Amino acid sequence: MPGSIFQIARTGAVATRASLELVAQNIANASNPDYSRRSLEVRELVGVAPGQRGVLNGVRIEGIARASTELVQQQARTSAAELARAEAELQGLRDTELALEQSQLFEGLVEFEAVLTQLEGNPLEPALRTNALETARQLASTFQFADTTLGIARRQVQDSAAVSLDEANLQAAELARINQSLADARPGTIGEAALLDARDAALRDLSQQVGITATFDERGRVNVRLNDGSGSPGPLLVDGLSTNTITSTTNANGTLTFEASGAAVIPASGALAGQAAALEAQADFQAQLDTIANEVITRSNATQGSGADQDGNPGQPLFSGTSASTIALALTSGRQLATAPAGSPAGSTNASNLAAFAASLGADDGPIASTDTLLLSLSSRISAQDVTRTGLAAIAQNAEATLLSETGVDLDTEAANLVRLQQAFEANGRVLQVATEIFDTLLAIR
Amino acid sequence: MSFVSNSTGAFYERSLSQLSELRGSLEGLQNQISTGVRISRGSEDPAAASRLRTLARTERLSQVQADNADKLARDLEEAGDELLGVANILARARELAILAANDPTGENGRAAIAEELAQLEEELFDRVNAETLTGEPLFAGTAAGPAFLRAPDGTVTYNGNGDIATVPVAPGTELERGLTGAQIFQFDVNGSPSSAFAVLSSLSAALQPGSPDPAAAARAAIDGLDVAIDTATRSQTVLGTRLAWVEVVQDNQANRALTVAEQQSDLGDTDIGEAIARLQQTLTALEASQLSFTRVANLTLFNAL
Repeated sequence: MPGSIFQIARTGAVATRASLELVAQNIANASNPDYSRRSLEVRELVGVAPGQRGVLNGVRIEGIARASTELVQQQARTSAAELARAEAELQGLRDTELALEQSQLFEGLVEFEAVLTQLEGNPLEPALRTNALETARQLASTFQFADTTLGIARRQVQDSAAVSLDEANLQAAELARINQSLADARPGTIGEAALLDARDAALRDLSQQVGITATFDERGRVNVRLNDGSGSPGPLLVDGLSTNTITSTTNANGTLTFEASGAAVIPASGALAGQAAALEAQADFQAQLDTIANEVITRSNATQGSGADQDGNPGQPLFSGTSASTIALALTSGRQLATAPAGSPAGSTNASNLAAFAASLGADDGPIASTDTLLLSLSSRISAQDVTRTGLAAIAQNAEATLLSETGVDLDTEAANLVRLQQAFEANGRVLQVATEIFDTLLAIR
Repeated sequence: MSFVSNSTGAFYERSLSQLSELRGSLEGLQNQISTGVRISRGSEDPAAASRLRTLARTERLSQVQADNADKLARDLEEAGDELLGVANILARARELAILAANDPTGENGRAAIAEELAQLEEELFDRVNAETLTGEPLFAGTAAGPAFLRAPDGTVTYNGNGDIATVPVAPGTELERGLTGAQIFQFDVNGSPSSAFAVLSSLSAALQPGSPDPAAAARAAIDGLDVAIDTATRSQTVLGTRLAWVEVVQDNQANRALTVAEQQSDLGDTDIGEAIARLQQTLTALEASQLSFTRVANLTLFNAL
């Protein structure tokens, strides 16, 4: 039947043109990271009536197929979340290292020890006494500088944690909206594919901030559960159309605690987990810094108390305060430095008390050694974390590449499809021409 | 339907990360070469950074200890100079005592000798109260000074104490600053305590006109002067030994400073030769990667359409 041939060729041409449009769409989105490759699903169209041989009707467009693999996507999300955690923690630790190294605390303590040793060689020299006092003042402000820069580093991490938290809540709300739209979308349509792209992009952005487990229903709607670091299943962030917001509270020592749907949660991965870990580390280093400052204060004041100053008076405290932020010089004149042992007369050149002071600063359990330990433990931790990060980056890159191979656009394949579809379209056109010629032949009979 | 393909996006992503990794290591090397410092942050090599901190501390303390040693050497030299003067005074006093002990020396001669002895005693008093360049008494122990005081009746007494201050000149090494006036000028003569001043002033008094037996007194004083000279020369030897010790310490300091500098350089400085070789290697790799990237990226079927 020539009419049937027309019908078959027409459906063929329409399906091929639709495929060509999709190829063009794929090529246009070749560099869009959120885009998943589309293809057209077609099916043979046959009209079958009971007791009849059946009629060939050409081809039917079944729907738009969208390349996606949930397993690979979950792997990519997990590894990206781990990487984001490691990077956020590393960033916070690096800021801490910069703060503590830039403050030159170690150098300040060594300089103080050196100046005391120099004074020991010539305890009555007024210039050296003034120098020692000014170095002590410098040391106090070095402690305060270290405290301030550490505080700035802490605030930076807290700020980025707040941004991460906002972003996570935003993406969770976005996912709930996408769930709503997916419920309304017709399966196999361009609109559904675009929504699924948006869903995967939101899931990826969410897992950058906080580690999640996603479960999908038959329509592609997603429920998102937060991965809890304590091992127990975390709360649902996205539950169908509703969301649970994550909130954070800042503790006195600068660390953060998180809460979602009324229960405390510990993010297991993602940038938030890294920022929380960095804040824990900073609180720890802050405590160590305060301990060192307090050690300097007590050791200095104890030595002053067990000595006599240049005028023969009992030594007064050198520093006031108890921590890195409160340490301040308490003496006003170099004459008040108690270089001589208690009970010495005015003008004594006996510097044994000063020698004990310098020795106690440089002792194996003294503040200089503690500062070195502090810096060493910090830099070792960063070094180890950097190794972890490099490993995680390789894994994440691998997972991302696998995901892109599964869902991304390969221009060579598209070019080949382009040629193939062009030929198919031409072939359908040729069939139409043949059908016309058959008609003409029939009409020419007289 | 199979969806596995070699995604164009993945290819660009991979190439980009490889190229930027190479660029990153190039910049690191360039930074090492231009600053000459291998470790710019502690986390780049934590152990070496800690070692460098210890070395920096050793270096700083060594500088101060070297200053202390210099100052100590100056003080000791000064004390030595003063002691040489003291020994000369005492030797001259002994010559005078021998002269006075000679019977032919008349009363006028003895009066002149007594005059000179009084002068010598003045000079001795000046020398024992000598001060360091920074104004502290050389021979008063750790007391504020002056080392010796002269009472209105002319008797000279030691005003310092018996402690000697020590100076840190090397890690764990404290050297004594000098000798106390008591050690140098006070001694026992025939079992009874005396001092250089007592010996000189009693001799000078015995030689004044009208003394009962000046020659015998002068002979008696020679014993005391012998002990005084002996004590002074012994002190000179002690100071000399101590000065020699300071010099040894200074030599050690110089050697240690060299070792510290060497270790610092080993740990913290860029090995320029190695860094440049690695820079060249990385440059070659980067150029090759860039070239192959553009070649491969140009391979697309669209060129053939």
